[in-house]
Amino acid sequence: MDASKIKQGIHKSKGGLIRSFVTIENGAIKDIDVSGDFFLFPEEAFFKIIKELKGIPAKRGKIQEIIEKTYEKENIQSPGTEPCDFTESIMKALEDT
Amino acid sequence: MNRWRFIDFGLVDIRDMMAMDEAILKGDEGNTFFFWTPKKSIILGYFQKAEVELNLANCKEYTITRRISGGGIAFSDDLGRQINYGVVGTIDNDLFPLDIIGSYKQICGVLIDTLIHYGLNAAFRPINDVVVTPYLNTGTKGARKISGNAQTRWEGKLLQNGTLLLDFDIEEMLRISNIPREKFLDKKIASIREGLTWLDRELGEQRDMEEVKGIMKRKFEERFNVRLKTGKLSEKETALTNSLLPKYYSPEWVFR
Repeated sequence: MDASKIKQGIHKSKGGLIRSFVTIENGAIKDIDVSGDFFLFPEEAFFKIIKELKGIPAKRGKIQEIIEKTYEKENIQSPGTEPCDFTESIMKALEDT
Repeated sequence: MNRWRFIDFGLVDIRDMMAMDEAILKGDEGNTFFFWTPKKSIILGYFQKAEVELNLANCKEYTITRRISGGGIAFSDDLGRQINYGVVGTIDNDLFPLDIIGSYKQICGVLIDTLIHYGLNAAFRPINDVVVTPYLNTGTKGARKISGNAQTRWEGKLLQNGTLLLDFDIEEMLRISNIPREKFLDKKIASIREGLTWLDRELGEQRDMEEVKGIMKRKFEERFNVRLKTGKLSEKETALTNSLLPKYYSPEWVFR
């Protein structure tokens, strides 16, 4: 990632802190990284969420839809953290100037 | 009465310990309760990125690794006054509930019973903390975290790791980490300094660590209605540990 273009967002869910690092190109998510002290089972499914988010339009509705779909498909449980918490963290990054 | 295995690994390199931790979960030796004391180290939670969460320039003297469960960094200073425990159990909806928070609460109960034994007002704070609150206080007002815990699951079993702080160097933790202000916003505390505590401070004196471990072990036996029998890793677990060691020592795993 080119550090100059990375946007950062922080959001705290009941289950932990979610820090997002996002690069945008032509209105789409070019690259994304998330770091945090939340819990999510099964753990490996987290990388599927990240993978699915790459290349999609940087819009709240689309981001939320992709995360929810991956939760359902991978049977994800994340106590104290909802799909909308990840969306919120990413949206905060998108609003970062 | 059921007998479960008990192991005290003593003072360990955290990379070796995390390999043994995973091997116990993925081995077939049954329910196990174990202790260890980490050498100067930092363990990242599964979803944490080292360069985001740590002030790496200040971490040069620390052994850093990553565990297979989520949650936040586990930091061990030079004081060595930390009891770290692990529980591996078969999820049975009785002793180890399927409900994630329910199972945290059950295992954290061992820590709470231990703290109550020492006359403290301890409680479970979901998702994964044990807090101490002043007596005559209701709710979690004035609550200070004394124990953090992290759980993962694998093929019908759970692995929970946690720490009970007997002493703790908060300033050193702040020096090695990048904890943002947002972490505390909803806890009604100004900083991490007000949100953490440890046994020596609460009791106003040092207790022998072996004594506290002995109480924890007894409270574990009482809570689960089992007898703990001292054992060791099986040959299969040792082989599994050896195969897992390269991961816990590799930059690809730690700095991914």
